[in-house]
Amino acid sequence: MSYSRIAERFLQLVPVLFGVSVIVFLMITLTPGDPVEIMLADQRATEEQIAALRRDMGLDKPLAERFFHFLVNAVQGDFGLSFFHRRPVIDVIAERLPATIELTLASMLVAIMVAIPLGVMAAVRRDTWLDRACTVGGLFGVSMPGFWFGILLILLFAVELRLLPVGGRLGYDYEVARITGMVLIDSLLAGRLDSFRNALAHIALPALTLGLPSAALLMRVTRASMVEVLAADYITFAEAKGLSRLRVLARHALKNALIPTVTVAAIETGALLGGNMIVETVFGWPGLGRLVVESIFARNYPLVQAAVLLYALTYVLLNFVADILYTTLNPRVRL
Amino acid sequence: MSAPAAASMPLDDAVPAPGALLSVRDLRTVFPTRRGIVQAVDGVDLDVMPGEALGVVGESGSGKSVTFLSVLGLIRPPGTVTAETLRFEGFDLMRLSATERRRLRGRAMALTMQDALSALNPAFTVGTQIMEGLLTHGIVANARAAREEAVALMGRVGIPSAAARVDEYPHQFSGGMRQRIMIAIALAARPRLLIADEPTTALDVTIRAQVLDLIDDLRQSEGMALVLITHDLGVVAERTERLAVMYAGQIVETGPTAAVLAAPRHPYTRGLLASLPRLDAPDSPIQAIPGQVPDLTRLPPGCRFRERCPLAVAACAEPVLLAPVGPDRAARCIRTEALAS
Repeated sequence: MSYSRIAERFLQLVPVLFGVSVIVFLMITLTPGDPVEIMLADQRATEEQIAALRRDMGLDKPLAERFFHFLVNAVQGDFGLSFFHRRPVIDVIAERLPATIELTLASMLVAIMVAIPLGVMAAVRRDTWLDRACTVGGLFGVSMPGFWFGILLILLFAVELRLLPVGGRLGYDYEVARITGMVLIDSLLAGRLDSFRNALAHIALPALTLGLPSAALLMRVTRASMVEVLAADYITFAEAKGLSRLRVLARHALKNALIPTVTVAAIETGALLGGNMIVETVFGWPGLGRLVVESIFARNYPLVQAAVLLYALTYVLLNFVADILYTTLNPRVRL
Repeated sequence: MSAPAAASMPLDDAVPAPGALLSVRDLRTVFPTRRGIVQAVDGVDLDVMPGEALGVVGESGSGKSVTFLSVLGLIRPPGTVTAETLRFEGFDLMRLSATERRRLRGRAMALTMQDALSALNPAFTVGTQIMEGLLTHGIVANARAAREEAVALMGRVGIPSAAARVDEYPHQFSGGMRQRIMIAIALAARPRLLIADEPTTALDVTIRAQVLDLIDDLRQSEGMALVLITHDLGVVAERTERLAVMYAGQIVETGPTAAVLAAPRHPYTRGLLASLPRLDAPDSPIQAIPGQVPDLTRLPPGCRFRERCPLAVAACAEPVLLAPVGPDRAARCIRTEALAS
């Protein structure tokens, strides 16, 4: 990919992010409910105190002016103070983000490890019981709600079988120095296999809950493109060369069949990063999703704005990464 | 190439011709579909002698490609292949395991397909695709030697500055060059039999002769036998010694190419010839064969061409066998006499 093309891609980010910030700003400020009232709900605050706090937080200014301030500061990387934490929003988010990234990556790993082999097998053994089982399982995976499936998993593995913890990221007995903020990686960096195992046990159920629906989707995409690729002339020609079945499937077919899978996987990763509020809540996972939910309830404007902008940015960047992967898989596309 | 007269005669007896490279008797390939069972190949007999060039002609859906995909063992389930005899170089192909047949593919019998653009994998460089076969069959010792051989093969099929282009992808080559690369892949292991399925259909007229010359040259230098599947009678006349005409899954006429084209003994062959534009009489109208190929799921008993045949009589509804009609020739027609007069 040429540099000018990369620069062009980055410039495309500007209008997208501007649009997102306008929408978020309007939606959250126009939502009924006043952060000051929520903050002071339990206290007998005087009118003056309320007015002072409102002035302090800049809420007394007109909407347009507030938006302008927000934009000017945001461009400089300043998203303001979180109303409740009384700390910069960026710091609060940075603290919670690694947990979400860790969960997303683990879920995606589950999804890919389940989806690609099953999708390939379903396509190769098309119209057999295996293919039908995958179709039914896939439908189930796509249609079941995450909170329900998560609770079922907790009931089975944590409550009944007592194999895995109910929630959280790491047992109380463990403490790992924070380097990346991702407990699994930090444990490995510290050479702590015991805490790695414990963190793995904690992440297993939420990762399954988030990963399986994505796996179902990716499997269907992989199967469909694999079926198409298997009918291609170059597969017959590869077989005519006398290559082994495995080589034909794993190299000639899969490399072509993965092109749509990569795109969908990137979109899914974005969706998982920004869409795991429910699962984080069910499993008590201290990630960004839960923080955003709490902040929305508290009308914590600066935090919600920053988080949503971050989601949008990640989403666009992931698509960008998918495009780059695309060019390696498909040499005909030179971006 | 002078094939023994008796040997190249496809007859109903199941004894393979002595000395034949490939012997096929009563080959049947069927595909179950929603509409019923498609009899794509229905009782084909043929022999290919070492070094011989056999032309196989027929329109789309006549079973000519499926016949040779069956020989190669490339029919995928749910399609099934049966044969009384399917021998190649003394191997009984029907008795070989899947792995044993795979070892013959690409090494002893090779295939080129009609459209090189779709036959070459877009995701790999041409070098990789040439090297693969060499390494799989253990023709070269290691990847470095395979690469050198790939460059040499590309040079041999006439690709200029092969060493520089070996790492390019198929889409970076022109149509004629891609066809050459596909031929290089097919010939990498110096097979005894090359099955060229419509090698020139997708090419410009100017490139056609070049590609056919290339195949001819390599055939002469390697002593390789050639099956040229085409619907182009001109190509068959120029490049093959023997000819088999297929219609609706059966061979309807076979014999020495020159003799068959000079005096066809089956109305379908004559129809094919009449539908060619003529250089010696440019104003004569092209005569299309009326009607359509019968539905392969509902084949009528008797001659399959009879509904389009100007010479058809009531007896044509009875089963017709491929019968000798002259030296080294056979036709599946009871009206051969009428055709000759």
